[in-house]
Amino acid sequence: MSAPPVTSRVTEEAPGSARPVWWLVLKQELVELWVGGRVLNFLILFSILMSITAFLLATNNELSLVPLEQTVVVALTAAITFGLFIGLIIAAESVTGERERATLEPLLLTPTSHRQIIFGKFLAALSPWPATFALAIPYVATLSQGEPVLWPALFWGAVAGTILSIGFIGFGILVSIWSDTSRISLFVCLLAYAVSLVPSQLPTEFQDSPPGTVLAALDPVESAAQLLTKTVQDGSPLGQVWSYIVAPVVLTVLILVLLFWFAAPRLGLQAGRARSHERVPRTAEVSA
Amino acid sequence: MTQARDPQAASARTEILLSEDLRKFYGSRLALHSLSFSLEAGRVLGFLGPNGAGKTTAMRILTTILEPSSGRFVVDGINSDQPEKIRHKIGVLPEGLGFPKQLTAIGYLTYFGQLYGRPSGDARRRGLALLTDVGLQHRADSAIGTFSHGMRQRLGIARALVNDPAVVFLDEPTLGLDPRGQQELLALIRAIARDRGTGVVLCSHLLSEIEGICDDVVIMNEGQVVAKGTVAEVIGQTQPTQRNAIRLRVPPTSVDVARRALEALPDVELGTPADETSGWLAVQLVVPDGESAAEEYRLKNGILRALIDADVPVLAFEVGGGRLQDVFLQLTAETIL
Repeated sequence: MSAPPVTSRVTEEAPGSARPVWWLVLKQELVELWVGGRVLNFLILFSILMSITAFLLATNNELSLVPLEQTVVVALTAAITFGLFIGLIIAAESVTGERERATLEPLLLTPTSHRQIIFGKFLAALSPWPATFALAIPYVATLSQGEPVLWPALFWGAVAGTILSIGFIGFGILVSIWSDTSRISLFVCLLAYAVSLVPSQLPTEFQDSPPGTVLAALDPVESAAQLLTKTVQDGSPLGQVWSYIVAPVVLTVLILVLLFWFAAPRLGLQAGRARSHERVPRTAEVSA
Repeated sequence: MTQARDPQAASARTEILLSEDLRKFYGSRLALHSLSFSLEAGRVLGFLGPNGAGKTTAMRILTTILEPSSGRFVVDGINSDQPEKIRHKIGVLPEGLGFPKQLTAIGYLTYFGQLYGRPSGDARRRGLALLTDVGLQHRADSAIGTFSHGMRQRLGIARALVNDPAVVFLDEPTLGLDPRGQQELLALIRAIARDRGTGVVLCSHLLSEIEGICDDVVIMNEGQVVAKGTVAEVIGQTQPTQRNAIRLRVPPTSVDVARRALEALPDVELGTPADETSGWLAVQLVVPDGESAAEEYRLKNGILRALIDADVPVLAFEVGGGRLQDVFLQLTAETIL
């Protein structure tokens, strides 16, 4: 059977310049996440959770059970926590999902920097965070009842949420690079997420004790919650609360260093086995 | 700009792919033992072997996904210690390739064209030309999720060509396709080598397709090359006992007549195939050692002549060892058993 002749000449090159790889990967990922409907589903879930949270907080506020400032802080913390969950889920599947769908291999076969591929995926996984924060604004604005507490709340919420999102998404992609399946990466990420929420659930007595204070300073989510409480609720100046920014920032920087300098260049078809040069055993080992 | 491959210039060149003593260990297990072969531009090389023979390991090394434990390979003059540069020179259709379902066919090819450094407009034009080559031009703007398996394989081949590669690696490209789809895809692969001067490495379990379109063959078993050469050379490696085994088919009503005609022939022994009721007969030529090939041909022609003289219609006549499958089964017998 004969086939039609195949083009043997490349068409003339058009004027224009090649785009950076991270930009191409980001565009591609955004299409899959947003046009594919995955992020939209998460945003609907986020809205439902925020509605329930806001309703409960508003009820408590009307009964004068909780002060207004604290209501705003709790709503903000909830928005950040739900937003982190979305980002973490997307990040956890960013590499393992491609492995499972067999779409990673063609990407690895292109002469592109693996670091740039991961950077594109990182930015794409970060993209739902501004949307979730924007969705949270009406809830926080309503709960603040026109009081000036709204503006510092939004500012510090954006700062803390962005730092935490960058760290959590970096962690999710890191786990995804080192996991063979999405099931494993999701399990590890959700476990880490749950652990990060534990300190805030501990008894108040423990939280106020020295070990509790240390634990709060080390846990990035609790640190961020404390930061919001001190700045928004107590009105403390930045000079008194900077210690609560340290844990999220340090952890985020460490994760990003680990992700882009160590893990990304080793991105491979199998978890942690990128073009690894296997050890050549001695002859005796082979024959044995 | 990526230069076009001139088929004439390419075919004048030799050894567009050269593998020298490639070895791969997984821990202490030797998965690939001393793989050496070469491929010339414009030729199709069939890569054969039973499951676990080391084909996938070899393909992944040659496509820079895995690093060899020792040995080297050269693609279009570039040594294997420069994997980034080699990736510019190769196109790959991996087995079981996945696709982003929301993306259109042209969007997919444009994306990969851009990953190879082409500007957007050029990548799109190139993508459209490739879609025409693989017969998908009318579905350029359709989402890949709506494509059949055969269409996806064609799209995968088009993707493997976006960088105008010197060598294309195709891993089981016809897997899961219906017979017509298989034939169309094989014709396309042949055309890629013929018209573009590209070297094609075709990994397949379907021996008939390898035999039909490949110029050269490498047969692997348990990590080692057990036969290599042109298809004719490899087929020539069959044992004499296999070459002298003949299966022929006559109408079931003529089986007795055919048996009597064949029993009358000297140097011919009749066997009893399991499917004699459907008209199949097994014949073994008795050719003494040292006899020339001409004697074999004389005896085979004698069988046909005897059947014709007995007025028996010959529906099929298969000479053992005359197909790649016979060599493959012979060389990989231990693994299969």
